[in-house]
Amino acid sequence: MKIPKFAEVARGARFDVRPLQVMVPVISTVIALGIGVLIIASTGASVLGAIDAFWDGMAGSDFNIGASLNRAISLALVGLGFIFAGRANLTNVGGEGQIAMGGMFATAAALHGAGDLPLGLAFVVPLVVGTAAGALWGGLAGFLKAARGTNEVISTLLLSFIALPLVYWSVESFHLLRKPISDLSSLPESPEIPDTTKLPLLFPDNGSPLHIGLLIAAVAVVAVWLVLKHSPLGVRLRAVGLNATASRRAGMRTSLHVVLAMTVSGGFGGLAGAIMILGQQFYLTSDFSSGYGFDGLVVGLLSRGSAAGVVIGALLFGFLRSGSINMEISANVPSAVVLICQGLIVIIIAGSTILTNRKASR
Amino acid sequence: MAILELSGLTKRFGAFTALDNISLGIERGEVHCLLGENGAGKSTLCNLIFGVHRPDAGTMVLSGEQFQPRGPAEALQRGIVMVHQHFSLVPNMSVAENLMLGRASAVLKPQDIIVRMGQLAAEYGLEIDPDALIEDLSVGERQRVEIIKCLLGDPRLLVLDEPTAVLQPDEIDALLAICRQVALRGKSVILVTHKLGEIGRVADRTTVLRQGRIIETVTMEGADMRALVRSMVGRDVQSAGSVLAAAVDIEGKVPAKSAMDAVDPTSSGEAVLQISDLVYRDAHGLARLDGLNLTVGSGEIVGIAGVEGNGQTELGLILAGLASPSTGAIVVGGTPVTDCTPQQITDAGVGIVPEDRHAVACIKELSVAENLFLGAIGKFSRFGLLDKSARRKAAEAMMREFDVRASSPDVSMASLSGGNQQKAVLARELSLDPLVFLLAAQPTRGLDVGAIEAVYNRIRAARDRGLGVLLISSELEELMAVSDRIAVIYRGKLVGELSAGSFSREAIGAMMSGHAHV
Repeated sequence: MKIPKFAEVARGARFDVRPLQVMVPVISTVIALGIGVLIIASTGASVLGAIDAFWDGMAGSDFNIGASLNRAISLALVGLGFIFAGRANLTNVGGEGQIAMGGMFATAAALHGAGDLPLGLAFVVPLVVGTAAGALWGGLAGFLKAARGTNEVISTLLLSFIALPLVYWSVESFHLLRKPISDLSSLPESPEIPDTTKLPLLFPDNGSPLHIGLLIAAVAVVAVWLVLKHSPLGVRLRAVGLNATASRRAGMRTSLHVVLAMTVSGGFGGLAGAIMILGQQFYLTSDFSSGYGFDGLVVGLLSRGSAAGVVIGALLFGFLRSGSINMEISANVPSAVVLICQGLIVIIIAGSTILTNRKASR
Repeated sequence: MAILELSGLTKRFGAFTALDNISLGIERGEVHCLLGENGAGKSTLCNLIFGVHRPDAGTMVLSGEQFQPRGPAEALQRGIVMVHQHFSLVPNMSVAENLMLGRASAVLKPQDIIVRMGQLAAEYGLEIDPDALIEDLSVGERQRVEIIKCLLGDPRLLVLDEPTAVLQPDEIDALLAICRQVALRGKSVILVTHKLGEIGRVADRTTVLRQGRIIETVTMEGADMRALVRSMVGRDVQSAGSVLAAAVDIEGKVPAKSAMDAVDPTSSGEAVLQISDLVYRDAHGLARLDGLNLTVGSGEIVGIAGVEGNGQTELGLILAGLASPSTGAIVVGGTPVTDCTPQQITDAGVGIVPEDRHAVACIKELSVAENLFLGAIGKFSRFGLLDKSARRKAAEAMMREFDVRASSPDVSMASLSGGNQQKAVLARELSLDPLVFLLAAQPTRGLDVGAIEAVYNRIRAARDRGLGVLLISSELEELMAVSDRIAVIYRGKLVGELSAGSFSREAIGAMMSGHAHV
């Protein structure tokens, strides 16, 4: 009997990164940051001070590194969802709405019962509930696509426009998730979730807020990579996305694959939302997502379908986000500058695909 | 006097020499055919003349002047026009509007175009409604618009790159007549084709290309067609089988069926496919199939002849499980498969070579190995992950068996020639288990002679191992060469049937056009 060739699987299991694919984003980032420096100089602020604050915010302390990584976790999950749907040639732009659903239902689960569960189930159950809510939101778009041919770009976007007010409604309404008005607080937000439902920290002793979401994201990266590149399901998703008729003729259930791809994609968004609440914010506000869905979408776009690319992009955007927040606070530079830099990075990378594609086609 | 004189033209793409030292003169007022298999360099030569590519060596002289076009625009300006295999028309604009595109000066004058169209209609018989939308036109009519577009500017040389590949028989006749008309008016025509029958009917001279070189240029009067085939494929046709001669349509030389099949087909076996009273209505309620009855026995090849658009496509889709019949029943080897999913149909033992290779048969972005096992992707897996080395081995074995030529099973399907793609599709469908019936719809469309021969051999081998085969084709010669029986479809019904030995082009042609006699 042949022994299962794990070594062979592992050897074949390389991340598909070609040098050019790495260099292009790196150079793009450098160019974009250079332009950012020029813009900072033009605002009259001290460039050195701004850079100092920027660096400090990104990685100046254990706390800041942890915060940056926590941001990267959510971005990576949304990005993974994007490339999962992308494998079936579907474009999920509804990350924002799926995050909102995930965060809202995770909060509800944490506040209503999950806190008393034993053995870590206290935070696992809300994570699962949040994931399921996001999956439902994504799967709904998949179902519309499969049953009615509705363009998933439109449906995911519009479903986000429904999800965001739903969160707002839930934190506005006392009979839903809003906490009772007290002397200290009258803001429309939920009560803080029980301590047992908060995600355990990886390094509780050094003050870093980094939580086990990092491990969840790492597992997700490997799982998505295996499924997309090394499983029969990955081939089927790709086949269905490339040519539905030929796939149907070959016996595949195309509708099922469309719904599945969107469900999984939405599930990643929901998981990201749940982790944002359970790992960092601990209570629900109407705008808790604040653009992670769209940043995650950009991460997914830039990765060009590679799980490794999602990791790189998520780290980049996660650290940039932390740095820009600190730069605004300590150096008095508008964080809009960093947003401009992010935009530049996207445009330069997107533009440079012409370069890499031309190389690849030779 | 030669209107276009090519001397020593050479064109390389990287290490590949597409054209090697081509010297050729195109006379005024002649129809000059370029004959050759796929990849022989015919299209490259056209593209050099039309300025799409530039030669690496050699010169062109047009009407006594040096001709070095830097692009199609310059070729157009010097009076050379070209109709490409793929049309460049805007589907949702009218014929007249399309004709005005690209020649729009300051003020558009639709009346002028319509007047000019009238002239061309009178001169060449190129009738078409100026107000018709392109998307409502048939392929033949669209091609007519392209030709009108070319003739508007009164060119010296008209280049047609495989114009007949997409046409139905009657449209081909009309096109060839137009070519003659154009030549009669002192213009020259270069016609690219790999169908010998057309050459016999239209060409003044023919140049045979093989592997980028000119093998010979022949004056067609009194030419030996068989010798042309020999130069084209580079070996004796007889050895390649009489099938080949029939495939390239040598008028009057199609061997009698009885002589071709020394071995009696193991026909009159039990029925493997039974279609009864099949009706298919399209979205508009039109009956595309209108009570079709057909039985295919094991060990026989039944051909379906008919002018395209008489229900063949719908029949193919229904048998593949991609469309549901309105009423009627289909039974395969005792299993009813009416209204079944493609998977259930496959499980019943049906192999399908669909009419549209790119849209239905394969996924060109996926690898050859993935396409070979498109219906059995999960077959090679270990712990839920793909076992790519096992799949590669199985694919290599299949590629060897079916002579699919590709550098590796991992290259994309798109990088294969049409012939090898089709061989891969056949390999997949003929390797199904169980398999009792094969549908081959237009299996040789767009293939070169060598590949056509291979496809015929596969189909016949399938028949000989006891399969029932249904061959749907718009090529009469193909049907007559391969089928044991030919049924003629007309407006969604079978209107007549002929068995081997009694095939006649005239009888089939009459039935195809609705003059039924049984």
